[in-house]
Amino acid sequence: MRTSKDRSASLAGTRIGRRTRLRNNIDAWVLMLPMVVILYLLVWRPTVLGVVWSFFNMKAYTPGEFCGFDNYIKVLSHTQFLPTLWNTVQYVLWSLVIGFLPPLFIAIMINEAIHFKRGFLVLIYIPAVIPGIAAMLMWYFMYYPDASGLLNMLLAKLGMEPYTWLNDPNFVIIGIIIYTTWKGFPGAMLLYYAALQGVSSELYEAALIDGASPWKRTWHVTRPAMEGLLLLNLVRQIIGVFQIMEQPLAMTSGGPSGASVSLSYQLYQYGFNSGGKGTGQAMALGVIIFLILIVFTIFYFWLNKKVEDRY
Amino acid sequence: MKIKRTKPSGILSFSDMRRPSGIAIYSVFILLLVCCSVVSVIPAVWTIMTSFKDTQEIYSSFSFFSKNMSWDKAITRITESWQYLDLADSFVNTIVLSLGNLVVRIVVCGFGGYVLSKLKPTGSKLLFTLVVWTMMMPGQIRMVPNYISYLHFPFAFDIGLGVSLLDTYWPMWLSSGADCFAVLLFKNAFDGLSQSYVESAKIDGCTNYGVFFRIMLPLAMPIVIYESINVLSLAWSDFFLPLLVLDKNVVVPLKIYRLQQDPGLQMNTYFMALVFASVPPFLIFVIFQKRILGGVNIGGVKG
Repeated sequence: MRTSKDRSASLAGTRIGRRTRLRNNIDAWVLMLPMVVILYLLVWRPTVLGVVWSFFNMKAYTPGEFCGFDNYIKVLSHTQFLPTLWNTVQYVLWSLVIGFLPPLFIAIMINEAIHFKRGFLVLIYIPAVIPGIAAMLMWYFMYYPDASGLLNMLLAKLGMEPYTWLNDPNFVIIGIIIYTTWKGFPGAMLLYYAALQGVSSELYEAALIDGASPWKRTWHVTRPAMEGLLLLNLVRQIIGVFQIMEQPLAMTSGGPSGASVSLSYQLYQYGFNSGGKGTGQAMALGVIIFLILIVFTIFYFWLNKKVEDRY
Repeated sequence: MKIKRTKPSGILSFSDMRRPSGIAIYSVFILLLVCCSVVSVIPAVWTIMTSFKDTQEIYSSFSFFSKNMSWDKAITRITESWQYLDLADSFVNTIVLSLGNLVVRIVVCGFGGYVLSKLKPTGSKLLFTLVVWTMMMPGQIRMVPNYISYLHFPFAFDIGLGVSLLDTYWPMWLSSGADCFAVLLFKNAFDGLSQSYVESAKIDGCTNYGVFFRIMLPLAMPIVIYESINVLSLAWSDFFLPLLVLDKNVVVPLKIYRLQQDPGLQMNTYFMALVFASVPPFLIFVIFQKRILGGVNIGGVKG
């Protein structure tokens, strides 16, 4: 069978061929024009300008004169920079400890369930349905430090003293991550669930005939099938949580005393809450975040290619 | 426990289910799933419960369930909160916003994905590489430059000609189109449709636009619907960009966020606001439940 490539190749020399190709090109670019324009205006141009302007003295939202690495020096020498970076790393670490594997386990259990399978799926998906801002405020009130918060009610029932939750600088990041995990796990769970259903049951049957126990079947059949997807999600989660911003903004405003400030939240403060003085620093910080994440991004693409090749 | 004979072999096979160890593992699974379901729904249930309580009850009895509930009281709570919160305008605004987001998403990302997948004009390879690379770039780097350009659109900064997009929905609408993930999603969907549709339609005299609108777009309906559900529900949770650009024409998420600054607001009314804000996405979920829970394989693995 001849594919379109052969056909256009055989027509390439003729006048009609050239005319159709031109026509095709014009039509294609017309259909694509909105995308190119929007990506240029909202993604490519601002990315380049973000880098360029990070070397400029910004007067509120107007670019001023070139100032070299001034903005970077201001950002990096700020006494809060290292603590903020450490907070951000803590967000990522805790999100991996608390939130990375549970979605997989839940997906496996739902996949095994015979009773109420659909019901479990629907109920467990509910956190993903609640709009983000409403969910954040719900959890803000669950963590409320006085006796009216849900978690403190629970403690009271167990006969314990109320706890300060998000007002405790040692707990605040964990608390935000618990919320983030609760909100995000249904999505990841569905992804794993779909992948689990793709694992051929013949593999399990073959393992069964060879006398493999349930644990052995998990390890030798389920694990290899899920490894690629798990690794991809690991990198995706690191990249995603590293940019955490809305949660501290809505739940703690960075407090108590800066204990939940992440790099992105700091960027927001520089850019929009500094009376226009920090605009340059905001862009410098954006470049710094970009440089940190580019390593993971390249790794992600390399991994994505490997995983896709395997399936 | 009665086990159907038709259980497809998974980690636990049919034969395991007759052994005590298998039954034990299965019971633990079910128990854990019940716990997970409870944890998933408890915050929402508590919010609903609290929204129907009296203020004094919230601060005095500290119990999960409301003590004195009745239909009449519940209905007065709903109507009174609705009147106090004055949410009607922002509901209409959010619907307008989400429909605009949807149109832009389909026109920009759908058309773009189609061209990258099927028409492949000169230069599309380079463009595709660019799209893939920008997909993973952290958005923070363009947060401030984007804001500056919204002040002087379509120019990057003040040259005296641009139009301010503040307090309009254009920043959100345009951002909805600037989503490289969605472009790739559509491209993958069109990749799955055979090129021979295009060819046979062309032999029958269809133009390039005809092929797209009459044949390819209807064939790609599942992904269009999947994306529409996503876009429509996301508009009810996005508060960051509205926080930056909107002032008077608030949308629901921003309204909810700003309620924190309302000193006269009663606790139970606040909770009722959270309930109101969750209703539209819940409706979307209830209506499209099958597609949402079944359709991730379209949008998932290939991301």
